[in-house]
Amino acid sequence: MINNKVKIKTTNLNVYYGDKQALNDVNLEIHSKEVTALIGPSGCGKSTYIRCINRMNDVIDICRVTGSIEIDGNEINKKEIDVVSLREKIGMVFQKPNPFPKSIYDNVSYGPNIHGLAENKVKMDEIVETSLKKAALWNEVKDRLNEPGTSLSGGQQQRLCIARAISVNPEVILMDEPCSALDPIATAKIEELMDELKKTYTIVIVTHSMSQAVRVSQRTGFFHLGKLIEVDTTEKIFKNPNNKMTQDYITGRFG
Amino acid sequence: MNKDQLLKKRYRAEKRFKFYGLVSITLAILFVIFLVNVIFSKGRTAFQRTTIAVEVNFNTEELELSSNASIEEIQDADFYDLSINSLLKLYKTEGAKQEKELLRVFSPDHDIEIKNFLIKNLDNLNKNVIVNLTTSDDIDQLHKGNYPRHLPEERRRISDFQLLIYDQLVKENKVNKVFNTFFFTNGDSRNPELAGIGGSLFGSFFTIIITLILSFPIAIFASIYLEEFAPKNRITDFIEININNLAAVPSIVFGLLGLGILLGTFDLPRSTPLVAGITLSLMTLPRIIIPCRASLKAVPPSIREGALAVGASKVQSVMHHVVPLSIPGTLSGTIIGLAQALGETAPLILIGMVAFVVDIPATPIDPSASLPVQVYLWSEQAERGFVEKTSATIMVLLSFLIVMNFIAVYLRQKFEKKWS
Repeated sequence: MINNKVKIKTTNLNVYYGDKQALNDVNLEIHSKEVTALIGPSGCGKSTYIRCINRMNDVIDICRVTGSIEIDGNEINKKEIDVVSLREKIGMVFQKPNPFPKSIYDNVSYGPNIHGLAENKVKMDEIVETSLKKAALWNEVKDRLNEPGTSLSGGQQQRLCIARAISVNPEVILMDEPCSALDPIATAKIEELMDELKKTYTIVIVTHSMSQAVRVSQRTGFFHLGKLIEVDTTEKIFKNPNNKMTQDYITGRFG
Repeated sequence: MNKDQLLKKRYRAEKRFKFYGLVSITLAILFVIFLVNVIFSKGRTAFQRTTIAVEVNFNTEELELSSNASIEEIQDADFYDLSINSLLKLYKTEGAKQEKELLRVFSPDHDIEIKNFLIKNLDNLNKNVIVNLTTSDDIDQLHKGNYPRHLPEERRRISDFQLLIYDQLVKENKVNKVFNTFFFTNGDSRNPELAGIGGSLFGSFFTIIITLILSFPIAIFASIYLEEFAPKNRITDFIEININNLAAVPSIVFGLLGLGILLGTFDLPRSTPLVAGITLSLMTLPRIIIPCRASLKAVPPSIREGALAVGASKVQSVMHHVVPLSIPGTLSGTIIGLAQALGETAPLILIGMVAFVVDIPATPIDPSASLPVQVYLWSEQAERGFVEKTSATIMVLLSFLIVMNFIAVYLRQKFEKKWS
C-alpha cells in the first residue's frame, strides 16, 4: 500500500510575505501515486506550502521563497523554470469552486486548448469526455455541456474544477481544502473520487477535517506556526504520533 | 431610560430617516419635472415652421429658360424677380415702403426656396403652382403665439401693415405650420427661421468618434496594464493618484491645453472636430480608466488563479478570463465618459469652436460647431426664434445623452446575463 517513490521533495523551504515568515525550514517528501494530507490549525502554512509546488506564490508581489523544491529530482524553485509548463504538470483545485463563467465544455477544454493538446475537435471531445468521466461528473452533465459551469451545484462545480485540473494530464494534483465549501454528500463523492484518482496521480490535500485526512490519505503531515512538526503514515500519525503537539491537535485539545 | 423608551426612540429615528429620504427624492423629481417642462414648453415650437402659400407661375420665358430646361440650367437661373413678383401679388401695396414690408414677411431666401421647389418638381415648369414659403422669424413667432402683438407699433419689429397682411392671409387660410426639416438639415444662420443644427450634429458626431478612437484603446490598455501587470510600488501609486486627480480637473483646463499645444505648438486647424476630439479625449481618458480599472478589480481573483493553475500565462489569464468578465463595466464606463464629453462646452469654446460656421462639415478637419456650443451660441442671440431653437437643441442633446445611457445600461445587463 505504501509507495516509496518520492515525487516531490522540499528541502529547507522558507517562505516570507514581506517581513513575515510563513514557512520555516520545511523538509517534506511527497510520495508518488498516493494521497498526502496536510493538517494543522489555520494560518500554519499548509496552503502556502502547496502553493509553492506549482509556484502560485509568484502571483503575490511581496512573497519570497527560498530553499529547494524538487519534482522527480528536478529543481523547480528557480527563475529559469517556465511556470506555464510546470503548472501543466501540477494541477490545482481550490478551496472555493471557481469554474470559469463559460460552458461546462469550455471549462474542461480550456487547458488542453492553450497547451495545444488536441489537434482537432474530435480529439478535444475525447479529452473533455475522459476528464469529466475521471472526475465522475460525465453522467450528470453529458446532456448539457453547453450550459454555464456556474449553473452546477457546489459539489458538481468542484468536480468540474477537478476535471479541469486533470484535463491537461498533470502528474500531481494539489487540493486546497477542496471540500470546505461543500455539504457532506458532495464531500463523500469527492473523497471517493480521490481514491480513484490516486491510482494515476500524486495528490496533496490540505484539509481541516481530521476524519477526512484519515479517510483519504496514506501519509499525513502536521504543520504548526510555519513549521512541519511531524510527517508519517496516516495510521501512525493518528494512532501513535511521536510528537506531543500532534497528539494534542488530533485529539482536539488545541487548534 | 428603560428598554421600552429605547425601543420607541429607535423606531422614531427610523421613521424620521425614511421621511428625510422621501423628501429628498420628491424634491429631486420636482426639479427634474420643472427642468424638462421648461425645456419642452420653450423648445417644442422649434420643430414647426410657419409657411405662407404663394402662387408662383413658373413661366420659362420670364425665367429665361428653354421650354424643357435641365436641372443644371435651373440651378444657374435667377429666380429673384419671379419670386418678388409672386410675393407682391399676395397683398395690395402702395409705395416702396409697403412693398419692402410685405417682402419682409418672408424669409430672405424665398427665391432659393422657389428654385429648390422647382428642381424637386420639374413637371411644374410653365404652370401656376402654390408654393409654401417660409415666413420671417417675426411672423413665425407671431403665428406660434410667442409674439407680443398688443405692444404699441414703435416697440415691435412687426409693423401694423405687416399685421394687416398676416391677419388677411390667416383669414384666407394661407398660413400653415409644417414640420421643420430645416432645423435638422441646415447649418447655422443669422436668420433664426433658417438656422439648424445640421452643422453641429455632424461636428459633434465627428468629435465623439475621434474621442472614442483615441481614448478607448488607450484607456483599456492603460487600465489592464495598471490593474493586472504593473508592480505595486510608489511609481504606480503616484500614477494612480494622478489619474484620479486628472478626472477631477475642470474641463476648461483641458481646453487651455488644447489651445496652447494643439493649436499653438502643432498648428492644427482651429475650430475643427479633430482638435476638439483630441482635447476631449485627454479629458475623457481618466474618466474611462477609473471605471475600467474598477470593473477589472471586481473580477474575483479565484478566476485568475483558476486560469493560472491550468497553466495559462499571465496574458492568457487576463485576456481569456478577466477582460471578458469586465466588459459590461468597461463598456458602460466608456459610454458614460463619452456622454460627458458630448455635453462638454468649455474646452470647445477655448479651441475656437464658437466660431459662426454656416457650412456643414464634411470631414473632421473642417471648421464646425458642436451641439453644446450651438446651445451656448444661440442662447446669446436677441431674436425670439433663437430662444426656441436653443431649447430644441438642448432637447436633441439630452435625447442623445439619454440614448447613450440606455445603451450603457443595456450592454451591462446583456453581458452580465451572459457571463453569470
